[in-house]
Parts: sequence; C-alpha cells; structure tokens
Amino acid sequence: MELLDIQGSVTPEESRTHIRVPLELHEGCGRLNVRFEYAPKNLEDRERALELLKESYDLYILPEQREQAVARADRHLPLKNLITLSFDGPDGYRGACHRHDEVQELFLASGEASPGLMPGRLEAGEWNVTLSLHCIVTATCEYRLRAWTSEREESA
Amino acid sequence: MTWIACELHTHTLHSDGRQTLRELAEGAAKLGFGAIALTDHNTMSGLAGKADIEREFGLTIIPGMEWTTFYGHMVTIGLSEFADWRQAGRSDIDRGIAEVHRLGGIAGLAHPFRIGSPACTGCFWEYEVGDWNAVDYVEVWSGTFPSIKTDNRRAFGLWTDKLNEGYRIAATSGRDWHAQEETDEPVSVTYLEIEDEGGESGAASAASPDSGAAEPSRFGAETQPEEVGRGASSAAALAETRLIEALRQGRVSVTIGPLLTMALESGGELWSVGSSVPARVSARAASAAPTSDVPASVGSQGEEAADSVEAAAIRVKLSLDFSVRRGLWTLDDQVFKLKLHSNLGEELSLDAPFKAARPEEVGVGAAESRKALLERGALPAAPGVGTAEEPLRLDLEAELPTPAADSPRSWLRAELWGTARGAYTRIAFTNAVYFEHEEGKNRL
Ligand SMILES: [Zn+2]
Ligand SMILES: [Zn+2]
Repeated sequence: MELLDIQGSVTPEESRTHIRVPLELHEGCGRLNVRFEYAPKNLEDRERALELLKESYDLYILPEQREQAVARADRHLPLKNLITLSFDGPDGYRGACHRHDEVQELFLASGEASPGLMPGRLEAGEWNVTLSLHCIVTATCEYRLRAWTSEREESA
Repeated sequence: MTWIACELHTHTLHSDGRQTLRELAEGAAKLGFGAIALTDHNTMSGLAGKADIEREFGLTIIPGMEWTTFYGHMVTIGLSEFADWRQAGRSDIDRGIAEVHRLGGIAGLAHPFRIGSPACTGCFWEYEVGDWNAVDYVEVWSGTFPSIKTDNRRAFGLWTDKLNEGYRIAATSGRDWHAQEETDEPVSVTYLEIEDEGGESGAASAASPDSGAAEPSRFGAETQPEEVGRGASSAAALAETRLIEALRQGRVSVTIGPLLTMALESGGELWSVGSSVPARVSARAASAAPTSDVPASVGSQGEEAADSVEAAAIRVKLSLDFSVRRGLWTLDDQVFKLKLHSNLGEELSLDAPFKAARPEEVGVGAAESRKALLERGALPAAPGVGTAEEPLRLDLEAELPTPAADSPRSWLRAELWGTARGAYTRIAFTNAVYFEHEEGKNRL
C-alpha cells in the first residue's frame, strides 16, 4: 500500500536543517519500504567548488596553513550534497542511514531492517522520516521520497 | 588495576563504514585490543550480535554512537539507549550532553579540528559549550599516526587550555576506523585502567603484561560471584561499566607504542592518573621545600628537618611498559624524552633509553642523564646486544619541583617524546593528575 510519494527541491541556504515527513502506519503492517533519492550528488562547477572550499578554509584552517590547503584543495573534490534519513515510530527512534548513497532503498520489519535501522514491531500510528540536509552545495538539489507498506515481512 | 587497550571510535556498514561488526572485532583483536567502542553515525543498530562476537574474539564491545550533527561530531559511549542528536543547536549542546549523561553514557568531542563543511560535513567542532565540566573527554588524537597532524595538535592544545582553565577533562585517541585496510602508519591505543576486585580507587598500579588481550570474562564473573548466574552478558556489561568509569575518571593513557603510566607519591600515599592530590599534601610539600635564603642547618636537628623534607616532597614514578601489544608496534632504538608537563609548562625532562630487543631496567633520579647511565654501565654499550627477556619495562623516579607559592600546580601529565617514522613527536601521553589547593590559598 502506497503511503507517500513526494518530491522537493532544496538549496544551499537549507543546509543544516531537517525536513520532517510524517507517515501514518496502519495496523497489521509487515514491512515498511522506503526509496529515497536525490540529485545531483556532486558539484561539478570546479570554480564554485574551489570558492566554497576557500571560504571554509578561512573558517577551519589556521592562517599560516591556508595557502597550502588551497594548493591541495583537490583532495576535497568533488564537493558533495549530503542528505541522510532517520526514522521515528510511535515507540521512539528507529535508526538512521548516515551514508553518501544518493539512492537508498530501505526497509523496516520486525525481524530485519536495512543497515542503520532497527528491526522491531511496526507499531500503527504516526511515524516520521527525517531528512537531514547536512550539506547542499549545488544551486538546487531535487529529492524524491516514496514509502509503501507490505503485509508480509519479505520483500515483494 | 589493569590497563585495557581500547579503540574508542569505529564504524560499520550500519553507517558509512565498510565492515561488519564481526570484521571490525576480528581486526581489533588482531591488533591486540581488549575493547572497542562502536560509534556508528547516529545509530546503534550495528550492535546486533554483540554478545556472540565478544565471545568469539575475546573483547568487549562498548555501545556508543557518534552524534553526527551540523555543528560538530560528538562521540558518546556507554549509553543504555538512544539520545536524540537532531535537536542540538549551536548553543545548546549542553542539553545534549546532559541527556547522554542521564542515559548512563559519557560524551567526548570527536576530531574537533578536522575541516568542516562542505569538505567534511559537521566535522569541525562549532558548538559553544556552556559548561566544559560536562564534557567528559576530547579525542585529541584522531586517525593513524595522529601526533604529527595539525588538527590533532590543535585538539591537544584545546585539551591543555581547558586543563589550565581548571576543568578536569580526559583525553583519548580514536582511529575513526571505517574499514579493514592495511596501514603502514602507527596505530594509536587508548589504555583505560579498570579496577579488578574490590576496587582500589586512586591507588597506583602496575600494568599487567598481557593487558592488551583481556577477555571479558576475566574482569567480570570471577571477581563478582553474585554475577556468575547471570552469564556472559552480565560479565560483559560489568566490563563496559568499568571501562566507562575509567574514562569518566580520567584513568587514561594514550600511545602509539609503549604504555606510559605515572603515579605520584608522598608520605607513603599514592595518586595515579585521574586522581587528585589533596590540598594538605600540596601545602606540605610547598612549606617543606628548602629555599635558598634559609641557610642549611647542621647537626641532628638538621637531619630531622631533612627527613621531613624528604617525607613531604612529592615524588613522581613513571613507567614505560614495552611488553604491551608485543610485536604489533615498532619504534627505532633511541633515547626517548620523558617530560612532565603542567599548567606551569614543562617541568622536567628525563632520558628514557629504549632498545627494541631489550630495554634496560634502570632506576634513575632526575639529575641523571644518559651520559651518567653510560658511565655507570646501566646502558648497553652497543645496540643490538642482548636477548629478549622479561620484564620489558623501564621505571624512572624523580622528585617533583616545588612550584613558587604564587603559582601553584593544578595538574600534571607525563609525555613521551621521540622519533617515529623520522618525525620527532609525542609517542605517548598520560591523562592528568590534579592538585587541590585550599580555598583562598595558592590560588591565582
Ligand atoms: Zn566524525
Ligand atoms: Zn567517526
């Protein structure tokens, strides 16, 4: 049963914010499936990337080492967008998937779950998927979040 | 008391690591660790199967989680359950730390000076800490061969600054271990000193030679008979509790080679790393110290005075245990520098000769140099001679200088300096011993 299919667009100004997406889980649900994707992953504009890096070096690197850092900036390229997902059920936190994959197919069931998520009873009621926008470096970043349930624990 | 070799910062497939918990534990056991903390990003789901894996590899797995937030990464370990990382704003990390404490855990700053976003999102510590007393530890060494890295030097400096400001904060290393990859670089170890039976808190202890290969059962069931019936998981829980307690109290020594330990002694009492020398002892040492403007007295009265000076003085006992994690680290033969560092700066520097095959067991005073040792025949004439034999240990003892009355010593740590991979750097350091002073006296 489809629960959700939403799309959105975020910008660098929304870096360091969360988007909380509620889901209503019905009784007798065996498995919660989620597919999340976002694009682009990388900032391909090299000039812009170096500009952003230079700004961050001013914040994070000692003055006497900034010049050297700029010379070695390639080690930090390409710059990447990072959005991670975490889950909450009526019973509490159900884990997070903190990794760089821009396409994530995830599931939660009573006996098993995707790495990062905690298996256990799928309690009926309000759930939340939290999108954490750790860093958006591209002018815009489009995402799509889909969620659906299956009666059986095994994937259909 | 026993020193346990720990790796306190690790990741698995449950976040962005490229290893299972089993692979991680196997790798850690091979490197001689007795305990690891699993600190996946924002999840504790990777702990599934923990008890079986602990039994299989004979090590303790401490539950933990790295708060991977927008304004900093914070390693939290020893929690009974999840503490929410998502609400922490730049100025209210104190609330998050309080929540970690409420759940029985402790919190440390992870790699506080690693470059932040966008190169490494949230990696630089940007939180405004309201109360540094709430911070349990700072991961001052991050990654492999940590001591030569600028970010870690800044973290070490931050720790020293906080000690100087009067806070009691522990310091650790963490590899931030994401995958089983071979490395040529020295691996750092955080040793935690746990209590055995009965608990001799504050007492100095010797490192046991096999401290790196502790089994959970060894510091659990057998010394706590009432725990036996509850089985291995209870023993493991006990081990976790002891390790967390050791770190909370600052019974910590960090190294890329030998285990460095320090204890202070005065009038028959001992204080080890993490404990406090009471005000009366600091005051006694200060008042008994000979000063240049008092002429040396003669006769029997003079001898008594000398005796009391002797008894009141604070002596520092340093030990280097080269037998830990044998064969798993290498350093070239050399004469290390053992330095005592405090809020007063570098207070003492002693020579500590090291020979990979057989470090000599010698006891030397503060004034004795390598030259004096050579003359005395305490050092081997030529390197490479000798056979490997126990104990692989070097003990040094010295009298602690008496600080000027207007600038009291508030903390003291030992550091081992030497050459590793061609760089002159810190090889090891202990956490601090603290000094208490009477209110209104000897206070700046
Ligand atoms: Zn981190
Ligand atoms: Zn980490």
